[in-house]
Amino acid sequence: MRAEQLSEQVPTVRRETTGAEAARMIAEFRLNGLVVADDADEPIAVIPGSQLLSVILPQYVRDDPRLVHAFDEAAADELCAKLNTMTIGQLIDAKRLKVTELPSVLPEDTLLEIASIMDRGHYPIIVVRDKAGRYRGVLTMSRVLAAIATAAGQDSHLVRRRLEHDIIERGRPGYFASDTRDGEAGEGSV
Amino acid sequence: MTTTAWLAIAVFAAAYVVIATEKFNRAAVALTGAALMVVIGATRGEQIWFSADTGIDWNVVFLLFGMMVIVGILRQTGVFEFLAIWSAQRARGRPFRTMVLLVLITAVASALLDNVTTVLLVAPVTLLLCDRMALPPIPFLLAEAMASNVGGTATLIGDPPNLIIASRAGLSFNDFLIHLAPIVVVLMVVFVGLCWLLWGRHLRYDAKRADSIMALTPRETISDGPLLVRMLVILAFVLGAFVTHSLTHLEPSLAALLGAGAAVLISRQGHEGYLAEVEWETLLFFAGLFVMVGTLVHQGVITDLAHWLTSRIGDNYAVAAHGILIGSAGLSAIVDNIPYVATMSPLVHDLVGPAAGLPPDKASLWWALALGADLGGNATAIGASANVVITGIAKRNGYPISFWEFTKYGIVVAGVTIACCIPYLALRYF
Repeated sequence: MRAEQLSEQVPTVRRETTGAEAARMIAEFRLNGLVVADDADEPIAVIPGSQLLSVILPQYVRDDPRLVHAFDEAAADELCAKLNTMTIGQLIDAKRLKVTELPSVLPEDTLLEIASIMDRGHYPIIVVRDKAGRYRGVLTMSRVLAAIATAAGQDSHLVRRRLEHDIIERGRPGYFASDTRDGEAGEGSV
Repeated sequence: MTTTAWLAIAVFAAAYVVIATEKFNRAAVALTGAALMVVIGATRGEQIWFSADTGIDWNVVFLLFGMMVIVGILRQTGVFEFLAIWSAQRARGRPFRTMVLLVLITAVASALLDNVTTVLLVAPVTLLLCDRMALPPIPFLLAEAMASNVGGTATLIGDPPNLIIASRAGLSFNDFLIHLAPIVVVLMVVFVGLCWLLWGRHLRYDAKRADSIMALTPRETISDGPLLVRMLVILAFVLGAFVTHSLTHLEPSLAALLGAGAAVLISRQGHEGYLAEVEWETLLFFAGLFVMVGTLVHQGVITDLAHWLTSRIGDNYAVAAHGILIGSAGLSAIVDNIPYVATMSPLVHDLVGPAAGLPPDKASLWWALALGADLGGNATAIGASANVVITGIAKRNGYPISFWEFTKYGIVVAGVTIACCIPYLALRYF
């Protein structure tokens, strides 16, 4: 399979998206990373989802992790609520979120070329751009692995479905409910 | 003086200036200076390794190392976090009461541990408490940095300059307790008053936010109760060995190393655990510094300087002591007090000799040096290591403290505490 066939659309965040909205998006779409898009909706960077966890922890707790035990449930909720007051842009500027630049591949690149680039920088997501530099979509780890599993003879209903449906479709009503109806487990994340 | 002696002075002065700029790693500068002393032929292996006067003072290096290992294991138990939260709960979330308790905990801990470790332990929990009480943390952090410098003055192990002075002057742990601890108690009372004037009266009490302090669970921060008990026993033994030095003749460095060994054994930690808090850079800085200063001693530079000073001072030790007190405070405010004291100690040694058996007026020079160097560090943000550490923590947590903001308060605290020492020296030693 070529990059063009594997590329898909993913939900993205903007600099003005709040931390809480980003957390909701990760939960709703079962993502493991946040894709940051520019004004033209083109992905420009990716943020590992685990970094959003570190944002709710105050710096002094990261300096002295024993302090986390002193918080009760109400205090923990209060810290989580602070995600509403911070935008992704503010968190990036304050260096509380580390942004990874997205590398790109050409639409005609093969599965091995894609795997090589993803492996080199441990990227869970990369961009597809044509020779003119036009954005054509993104390649996610789960879709690339679905293609690899198919090539290795590990075909299944869910693998096929992963190849046929973009992650952004998970936002449609009833998308995950259909997994339950089929009696199969839901899909993994990005 | 010989050409080699002049070259040694040039190397020392250049290293001192570079250290003062704080643009380069101070350990690297001190070690480079030490290496240059060897290259120009001003010192040799025998002087460096086997003489505390002209080379590395292993007593100081290993005392620091031993205490770092003990504190490194003790801090993992969570006892400091427990004490800070517990004290804020005892203060019922009243801002100034909380500040006073945190300041007292910091001062006492600094007298028993080193200042940097103490503020590293107290600052994060202070930020937590201020966060819960919706109080500005900067006044608390400033007060703690300054309390650590005042509290650390009280004992031989409280502040690194005291270690150097003790080793050069032959002063014991008890000498520091007898001569410095009483004035430090007075200074702490004065400092608490200053805390009220400078910060406390501006802090607002919010009953609702204070309640959130009571919801914290300090006991949960104790990660290993049995280890805590054993470590406290070891710390008590080490302090006991310091106090009974005149009976046991066990060097403080050996007492600290024995305590560190026992702590490693009972904690059953790997080297990555018990060596985590050892500041190798500080130890190397000390080693390089000792070689540079020792070379000046070996080359007779310090003796020449002492002779010149003796001719100027004559028998007027009162003027000399107060001059050292104020001069040391002024210099310690702008340069690191460790290299300053490392340089001044051999000079005072040549002026009055070791402290044992000295009449009070001559001995006062040693105490003036300790008080001036330790307390002067409070004046500016770069005057003491604890100040640098606390401003770094504050900045990382989104509360930057500018050099001038620190100095605005620091100069008042340093000025008042040094002013209190002037009548103390006059009344006690002259």
